[in-house]
Amino acid sequence: MPNAPQLMFIGAILFALGVTGFVTRRNLIIMFLCTEVMFQGILLNLVGMGLLRGNLQGQVLGLFVLVVAAVEAGLGLAIVVLLYRRRGTLDAEKWKLMRG
Amino acid sequence: MTAAQWTYLTYAILALGAAGLFFALPRAGRTNRAAARLFAAISAGGVLVVLAVALGCGSGKGSSPAFYVLTMVALAAAVRVITHRKPVYSALYFILVVIATAGLAIMAGAQFLGVALVIVYAGAILVTYVFVIMLAQQSPEPGEAYATTDYDDNAREPGTAVLAGFVLVAALTGPVVGGRWPVVTSHPSPVSNSAAVGWELLTRYAVAVEAAGVLLMIAMIGALAIARKHVPTDLLPPRSPELPPGEVGRHVKPF
Repeated sequence: MPNAPQLMFIGAILFALGVTGFVTRRNLIIMFLCTEVMFQGILLNLVGMGLLRGNLQGQVLGLFVLVVAAVEAGLGLAIVVLLYRRRGTLDAEKWKLMRG
Repeated sequence: MTAAQWTYLTYAILALGAAGLFFALPRAGRTNRAAARLFAAISAGGVLVVLAVALGCGSGKGSSPAFYVLTMVALAAAVRVITHRKPVYSALYFILVVIATAGLAIMAGAQFLGVALVIVYAGAILVTYVFVIMLAQQSPEPGEAYATTDYDDNAREPGTAVLAGFVLVAALTGPVVGGRWPVVTSHPSPVSNSAAVGWELLTRYAVAVEAAGVLLMIAMIGALAIARKHVPTDLLPPRSPELPPGEVGRHVKPF
């Protein structure tokens, strides 16, 4: 059975991988996939901290994180579809006018 | 080894992994695969050592081999999600990440959360992703192989991004490796994990469950409202010639 620091270690690496992918990839869909990788890291962290506390609060919070992930995926992909229909490309660089 | 030495060893291992990630990210349409694999293999071995030796002694007995296999599958698949140049493959590797994470959660005693992960992520969210990928990808001409796009072949500032990721992961893992953790003895619960989580959800967190339901419904309506917005096709900029960067978007009238 894995213990709490092991799960938190893996979760931290998954989260950092997601952040790296989010800032460096230019495909809008892959950027959103990277946020989902971050959610996986957060879930592992919650399970690990729940082990430390010895109750179910971590797992219950993990279920609510799952709900938020589903909401984010639905809204995010709707926006991606809209952006794709306006520009005809998934390139995030095409939407950098606000970047200054 | 002391905790501080383990911390610095972890930093070194993660720096090697970051170097491997830098070589694996697509730049100018190609990747340095040999260097990426070398650094990734060294870093993966180091991560296993840290997990087994520095962090593994808290539970009293060693973790099972399945734990290390699932860890390696999760991390390797996550690397492929962010480095693969074809979005469909990224989505498929993400399913591997989800399944490995669910396995880890189940091993840690969170059976309900693990099964919910597989059902919600691999079953529902991933289908939506693949749907959007299919919707938004130009199919190749008949007889032609699928060509990756320019924006999938060129990552944006991979060096800086990998450096930022390394600083983040070092800040997150340093306290985990260097800290002292209490030894948790798990006492078996009289009821199953699903029953206990269900009881907790529907008694103490009943209001939160209702709020989550309302949130899901609001998101569904919002997604419908966003995606149904009418975009006249004559507003689309011409595909070619490509506009210079400063001009992109200037010729599209707002809704």
